[in-house]
Amino acid sequence: MRARSRFFKRGQNYLGIFLVASFILVALAAPLLSPNDPENPGPVKIVGNTRKLVPQPPSDLAPLGTLPNQASVFHALVWGTRSALGFGILVTLCAALIGTLIGAVGAYFGGWLDHFLMWLSDTFLTFPVIAAIVVIQQLVTIFLHNLGIYFDYWGVPMVWQNGSISAVTPPIAAMIDRLQSIDPVLIAFILFSWMYYARVMNASMRRVKQMDYVLAARASGVPARRIIFRYMLPNAITPVIVLASRDIGAIVVLQTTFSFIGIGKTSPWSMVLTLGKDWMFAPKGLTTYWWVFFPVTLALVLFGIAWNLVGDSLNEALNPRSPAG
Amino acid sequence: MLTLVVITVLLYGSVMLTPAETRATLYMPKNTSPRMTEEKWQELLEKMIERYELNAPFHVQYLHWLGRLVQGNWGYSPTLQEDVFSVIIRRTPATAELTLLAFLIFIPLGLLSGVVAASKKNRAPDHAFRLAAFVATSLPPMIFAILLMVIFYIDLYWFAPGRLGTALQSLVSSAEFKQYTGFLTIDGLLNHVPQVSVDALRHLAMPALTLAIAQWSILGRLTRALVIEESQQEYVAAARARGLPERKVMWNHALRNALPPLITNSMLSAATMLTGIFVVEILFNIPGVSSIAVKSMAYVPDAPAALGFAIYSVVVVLLLMSVLDLIQVWADPRLRWSS
Repeated sequence: MRARSRFFKRGQNYLGIFLVASFILVALAAPLLSPNDPENPGPVKIVGNTRKLVPQPPSDLAPLGTLPNQASVFHALVWGTRSALGFGILVTLCAALIGTLIGAVGAYFGGWLDHFLMWLSDTFLTFPVIAAIVVIQQLVTIFLHNLGIYFDYWGVPMVWQNGSISAVTPPIAAMIDRLQSIDPVLIAFILFSWMYYARVMNASMRRVKQMDYVLAARASGVPARRIIFRYMLPNAITPVIVLASRDIGAIVVLQTTFSFIGIGKTSPWSMVLTLGKDWMFAPKGLTTYWWVFFPVTLALVLFGIAWNLVGDSLNEALNPRSPAG
Repeated sequence: MLTLVVITVLLYGSVMLTPAETRATLYMPKNTSPRMTEEKWQELLEKMIERYELNAPFHVQYLHWLGRLVQGNWGYSPTLQEDVFSVIIRRTPATAELTLLAFLIFIPLGLLSGVVAASKKNRAPDHAFRLAAFVATSLPPMIFAILLMVIFYIDLYWFAPGRLGTALQSLVSSAEFKQYTGFLTIDGLLNHVPQVSVDALRHLAMPALTLAIAQWSILGRLTRALVIEESQQEYVAAARARGLPERKVMWNHALRNALPPLITNSMLSAATMLTGIFVVEILFNIPGVSSIAVKSMAYVPDAPAALGFAIYSVVVVLLLMSVLDLIQVWADPRLRWSS
C-alpha cells in the first residue's frame, strides 16, 4: 500500500497514466472514432478524389487532412495507435516472459546452468537487431527461392518449374502471402530484447534467494517449481515490470523508425511520414502541409514519453531507493 | 571469441537449411553463354557442389566456410554485384567517420550535462536536463532527421545529406586524391584540398547530430543517476569536509568512481548503438555499410551479403566491447591486479 501512495503523490505520474490510458482508449475505440471503409478495410482509407495528388487540408471527411494518395491522416493515426500498442505489448510481453523465465531458472538453480544461461544472454547482447532482421528476412527469401518462387520486376510472384516460368497457383500464393506477412522486425525484437529482462531478473532473484522464507520453503521440501513461481517471482518481479513499461514505448519508436527506412512491415504511423515526406521537404512544407507531419510526430513522441513516464513512476514507487534515471 | 564461433555456427547453420543446389548457384558463372544447355548447366552445378563440398557434413562445410571467411573471401553478392568483403571494407570508413564524429559530440556533452544535473539535483538545471533528455529519448531519429533536413538543408542550406557534394565527388574518386585513412575530412587536409574536408563536415553534421542526440540522452541520464548514487557515499562527504571545491568533488571523486559502472553499461548497449548508427546512415543516405542491410531486404536471395553483414556487425560490436574493456581497466585499477 505504501507503493501505491507513493505512486499517486507526484503530478507527473498522473500525466503518464493519463497519456497511456488515452492511447489505450483510442486503440480500443478505433472503429468508433474512424470507421473502416467496408470495401477496403485497413489503416489506409481513401477519401475524396484520388486524382488530386496534393495533400488536402482538414475537411469533414478527413479531420486531419489527407496524404498525397488521399488517404485520411486521422484514420491512419487512430488505427496506427491500435497496431503500435499491439506491437509494443506483444513484443514486450514475449520478451519479458522469456527473459524472466531464463533469469529466474538460472538464479534459482545456480551452478553451470546459471553460467550457461547468462553467457547465452551476453552472447545475444552482442548481436545488433538490424543484423538479425536482415538474416531473418533472408531466411524467408531463401525458403521461397528454394520452392522455385521468385519475384519479377513488379514484385509479382512467379514460379520456376521444369524450365518454364508460370504464374503461381492460388494455394501457393496464399502461402507466399503468409510467409511475407511474417514481420522480421517483430521476431528480431523478441529474440533480441529478452536478455535485459534475464539479467535484471537474475540479479533480483539472487537477492530474493538469500531471504529466510525461501530457505525455509526449501528446507521444508517445497518443490522447486513452486518455490520459483509462488515464493520468489512475486517478490522479484518489480524491476521487470519497470523495464517492460519503459520498453513498450522504445520498441514502438524503433519499429516506426525501421518501418520508415523501409525495413520490416509498414506501420500506419510511419506510412503517413513516408508518404508525406516529399511534401514536408517542399519550401515552407512543414507549415503549409502541417497535417502530414505534426499529428503523427506528436503521437509518436507522446507515446514514447507516456511509457517512459509510467516506467519512471513505477520505478520510484516500487524501488524507492534507486535514483531516478 | 567463443561467442563469435557460436554465432557463426548458428548463422551458417540457418543458411545450410537450404539445399546444396541453391547454394551452388552462387558459385556459378555470372554470364553464361547462350550455347549452354540445361544439361550442361546441371553438370556444372554438380561440379560446383563437388568442388565446394556443398554436400559434405555440416562441420566440414562450416570449417571450410570459416577458413574462407578468415581469408577475406566472404562470397559474391548478387544484389551488390560485388564481393561482400570488399564492399564492406570500402564502406567502413564512411560509417566510422560518422561514428567518431558523433562520439566526439555526445561523450563530452553527456558527461558534462550528467554531472551538472547531478550536482544541481532537483534545481533548475537538473529539471531542464531531465526534460530535454526525456524528450530526446522519446524522439524517433527520423523525426529529428526530418526537422534537421527542413531547417538546415532546405531552408538554410547549411548542411546536406549524403557524404559529399557532386562537385567534389569526381575529385575524390580521381587517382590524384590519395586515400590515406578513408575519412574524407582528414584525407582532404592531407591532400591539401581543404574544401573537401569542409564539404565532408557539412554533410556529416546532420547525421552526427541525430546520432549524438539519441546517445547523449542515454549517456546523460545514466551519468546523472550514477553520480547521484556516488555522491551519497561517505568519501564524497569526506572530500567536501576537507574543503575541496565542489567542482573537484564532483569531477575527480564522484564521476571518477561512477565511470566503471558507466562503461559496463555502455558495453551492454554497444549492439544497440550499432543499430542506431546504421539507422542514421540510412536516414541520411550515407554510402556506409548499412546499405547492405537495405539491399538485402528485397526478396532476392543473397545469403553472402546477409551473413557478411551479420558477421561484420558482431565483429564490430565485439571490437567496441574490447575497447571499452581496455578503458575499463584504466578506469578501475582493481581489475589490473585481479587474475
